[in-house]
Amino acid sequence: MFIDELDRFGAEDVQLCYQCGDCSTVCPHADEVYKFPRKSMRLLQMGLEQKLETTLEPWLCYYCGQCSEQCPRDADPGETMMSLRRWLISRYDFTGISRMFFKSRITEVLAIIAVALLTGAFLIYYGLSGGSISIYDGEGAFLPSTFIHRFDLTIGAILLVFLVLNAIHMWYLVMIKGTPFNVPWWLYLKELYQLPWHFFTQKRYADCEKKREHKVYMPWLLHLGLMLGYVTMLLLVMVFIEQLQAGPAILWRVHIFGYLASVGLIAGTIYFIRSRFKKHYIQYKKSHGTDWVFVTLLFIIVVTGIAQHVFHRTGLYEPANITYVIHLMSVVPWLLRMPFSKWAHLIYRPLAMYFSAVRREALMRQVSILNSYPVVVK
Amino acid sequence: MRTGVFFCQTGDNRNLNIDAIAKYSANLPDVETVQILRLKPLPDLVFLREQIITHKLGRIVIAGDIPGYYKPVFTRAMAMAGGDTDEIHLASFQEHGAKGENAMDRAKAIVACATMGVPFPLAAIPGGNPVNHATLIIGGGIAGIQSALEIANAGKQVFLVEQTGTIGGHMAMFDKTFPTLDCAACILTPKMVSVGQHEMIRLLTRSKVVAVSGKPGSYRVKIRQSARFVDINACVACNQCAEVCPVRVKSEFDAGISLRKAIYIPFPQAVPNAYLVDEKSCSYILSEGKKCGVCVKKCPKECINLNEKDHITDIEVGNIILATGYELLDVSPIEQYGYGTFPNVLTSIEFERLTNASGTTGGRIVTKTKQFNRKLNKDEWVFSPEGVPPRSVALIHCVGSRNKKYNAYCSRVCCMYSLKFAHLIKEKVPNANVYEFYIDMRAFGKGYEEFAERIKQEGTFVVRGHSASVTMVDGQMAVRGEDIFNDRLVEFKVDIIVLAVGLIPSPGTEELSRMLGIQRDTDGWFSELDYNGSPTDTDRGGIFVAGMCQAPKDIPDTVAQASAVAAGVLGSLTSGKGIGHMSSVTLSEIEARAKTIHTI
Ligand SMILES: Cc1cc2nc3c(=O)[nH]c(=O)nc-3n(C[C@H](O)[C@H](O)[C@H](O)COP(=O)(O)OP(=O)(O)OC[C@H]3O[C@@H](n4cnc5c(N)ncnc54)[C@H](O)[C@@H]3O)c2cc1C
Ligand code: SF4
Ligand code: SF4
Repeated sequence: MFIDELDRFGAEDVQLCYQCGDCSTVCPHADEVYKFPRKSMRLLQMGLEQKLETTLEPWLCYYCGQCSEQCPRDADPGETMMSLRRWLISRYDFTGISRMFFKSRITEVLAIIAVALLTGAFLIYYGLSGGSISIYDGEGAFLPSTFIHRFDLTIGAILLVFLVLNAIHMWYLVMIKGTPFNVPWWLYLKELYQLPWHFFTQKRYADCEKKREHKVYMPWLLHLGLMLGYVTMLLLVMVFIEQLQAGPAILWRVHIFGYLASVGLIAGTIYFIRSRFKKHYIQYKKSHGTDWVFVTLLFIIVVTGIAQHVFHRTGLYEPANITYVIHLMSVVPWLLRMPFSKWAHLIYRPLAMYFSAVRREALMRQVSILNSYPVVVK
Repeated sequence: MRTGVFFCQTGDNRNLNIDAIAKYSANLPDVETVQILRLKPLPDLVFLREQIITHKLGRIVIAGDIPGYYKPVFTRAMAMAGGDTDEIHLASFQEHGAKGENAMDRAKAIVACATMGVPFPLAAIPGGNPVNHATLIIGGGIAGIQSALEIANAGKQVFLVEQTGTIGGHMAMFDKTFPTLDCAACILTPKMVSVGQHEMIRLLTRSKVVAVSGKPGSYRVKIRQSARFVDINACVACNQCAEVCPVRVKSEFDAGISLRKAIYIPFPQAVPNAYLVDEKSCSYILSEGKKCGVCVKKCPKECINLNEKDHITDIEVGNIILATGYELLDVSPIEQYGYGTFPNVLTSIEFERLTNASGTTGGRIVTKTKQFNRKLNKDEWVFSPEGVPPRSVALIHCVGSRNKKYNAYCSRVCCMYSLKFAHLIKEKVPNANVYEFYIDMRAFGKGYEEFAERIKQEGTFVVRGHSASVTMVDGQMAVRGEDIFNDRLVEFKVDIIVLAVGLIPSPGTEELSRMLGIQRDTDGWFSELDYNGSPTDTDRGGIFVAGMCQAPKDIPDTVAQASAVAAGVLGSLTSGKGIGHMSSVTLSEIEARAKTIHTI
């Protein structure tokens, strides 16, 4: 049954819900058009899979946990929304890989190891055939930066293809299958600003704070730091890799971004790991297996990344090259895993925000069109 | 007959060792096979049929806490195997009270009876002790009153022990009762008066049971009667003492929404109809006679004696009836409704007093007004008859009930009294908007569903959806909720919020259960012997439960149960067989009895 399937994505207590609506009442993001989490709980209980895959509500939830704290039945609506997000990612993904990963951690780990080994083999083969392990950059280098640049771009292109196809699938499910009325094309243009706006501010995440009355909303700040660090790193690696690799002198105008991004990534990761261990917020009470894979990989990436940077700058070229290979061996599976993992929310969330705004506008127009027709009785 | 015993036990039973019981049952005569099934959710039909055929079973015993749940599968298996489906016997641990100290022996006896096809109650009859004809009733609410009158009218002596200054309990606080909207006092007051005047009833108010000894049929009970400080027989309730008393404290009878003096009468129709002094607030008593004492001088009947002492009474009775009722859950931890923060958030019992014609506002439904308290030097919110009526009221169901954080159980009366409140508000403040937030409407009794429908017709907005958020917006409270049937999130501005607070056993329940050796269930209510078969007995012989103290129930059910208890008591007095202690019957006695019945 569908509800049992969702169980494997983490939603274990949906059956307990008796539809009181307390959760929707306290949710800071629920509004007239998008009412959740109660409604999502209901759809789940009724097994309306086809309907659920067209909903945007799971993406509008940022898991502040207030609903789960309030729930009189301990049905954990917050965790259900989280699980629905995992499930939606697997739904948007047309390859079915994501589904496999979410359901079996072993498959995921094996796939990651396989990709890592392939990457490693390829890099070592390439490095040894043209260069020397004791040269880091320039003539005869083990992994010359021009090669790395091309390599990165290839990986980036693969990543992009998956992401774009998945995003189109999402658009189809949400805006075509799930929207029973016409959406004029110019609404897409009008609301386009939503995409960068939500991507870079995570404003809605900050809204959770309003109800909680924290002075500085740490989770939001750290989440923002983590996300900006991640994007900066991605940009540096994809576009500025040649400057980044040059050395051994430190090129401040490029490297400063690298350092800042690292700080953001490390601080964010440590905070979220700590929360998962301490479980002091309700949303960290349960961790899905895939969350841990993500965190471990990220840890390896950060450590080897910093190490190879330090080795390079201090003239230890051989260790620098070796750590660099390990670094890339973890970066590649990590990047390729992104469209199939929870990290795809980086893309889906702003998209969902955008689509939800378009859909809301279209709905309002619909209502006003309906209202503007005179009711002719005879 | 070849018998198979199947244990179907869901979850862990508190103190039953199923393996040991299974071993015991394997040695019973005719038992061919004993199996412990831990199958979820139901045992496998095909497997059962095979078992019946291979062991050539003629009789099946299903043992467990709720064996009835599994009976259909076994019946089908038996039918498929071509056996006699009448030969499926249930050994229900829960129903026959296998709990407490000798749970194991009881469980074994239950299985033994079932394997012989003998109904357990037939075999487990406790031996009779001679019965003292007097009866003790603890708790003078409607339950205690009803039982007392039934027994006393049959000509038997009753001691009615009530801890407060008057009998009547919660029902005396109500204006109208659902679903008939009868006047509560019109039903209750005559009964209270009869109790007060009955020659066979000895009423002990301000009293508590402090010790119990003896055995079924002859319990010796020690009762501590706190000093009343006013002579019941001389007092004429003229109120002159209260007029001069300088002390003001919150009135318990008015659920704290009005003030009373230190010398007071709970309400004008109180029985006994005499004043009393609250030793916890009287200046004279608190200062050990150094201060005040004005009421003593004022009393025209000279019936006040502020130096009176508590006294202890020893009585001997044959039966004891527990009728200690309930109280309301403390709502202050349930912060989301703003009780204690916003002045006009009321508990149900506070509203009940507000709307009562004999209450502090004369039954007018008004919001609180600000008043300066000179003593404390700050503003206070109080009800006054000049208050403004509310423009809108929200009623919120299930506050602390059906909630895993507070009471997991349903309090059973709140849906109905909330509907009653909606009606009373509509009646008294016709243009007020009333919003009723509910999760499930539990209108289960005769005429209740019709009552619920009627309230909807009267224009109350009955919102399917609970609320969990009350905030203050521009000086008015805003209740947020989800209107599930209309698929809307709603926010209503309201002036009064009434919380349907969950009910819990009254505070003395635990102490009494220890004193009398009565079990309590997981929620704290007194356990009956068997919920279906003997809902008023306990497993101590000669001790009965009536009314709310057994489980939440409304007045009709309380009264019915109280009368049933009286029948049980009178039966023990007139049958001549005497009464025994259910738990005093030993396993071998039951076995032996079952065998004789079996062979007949
Ligand atoms: C707000 C509200 C409104 C309600 N409205 C209705 C209605 O309209 N219709 C309806 O049918 N039902 C209604 N009910 C339910 C009704 O109150 C109960 O069914 C009924 O009062 C139960 O009576 P009782 O005698 O069992 O308990 P109680 O009325 O609680 O009486 C118990 C008595 O025992 C005394 N006592 C307690 N402990 C001890 C002790 N240790 N020693 C000595 N004495 C003790 C108490 O002082 C009290 O006098 C309502 C309940 C509430 C909360
Ligand atoms: S609060 Fe809990 S029980 Fe109520 S609707 Fe939400 S999930 Fe269901
Ligand atoms: S009676 Fe109604 S309001 Fe009270 S606990 Fe039960 S369901 Fe909730």
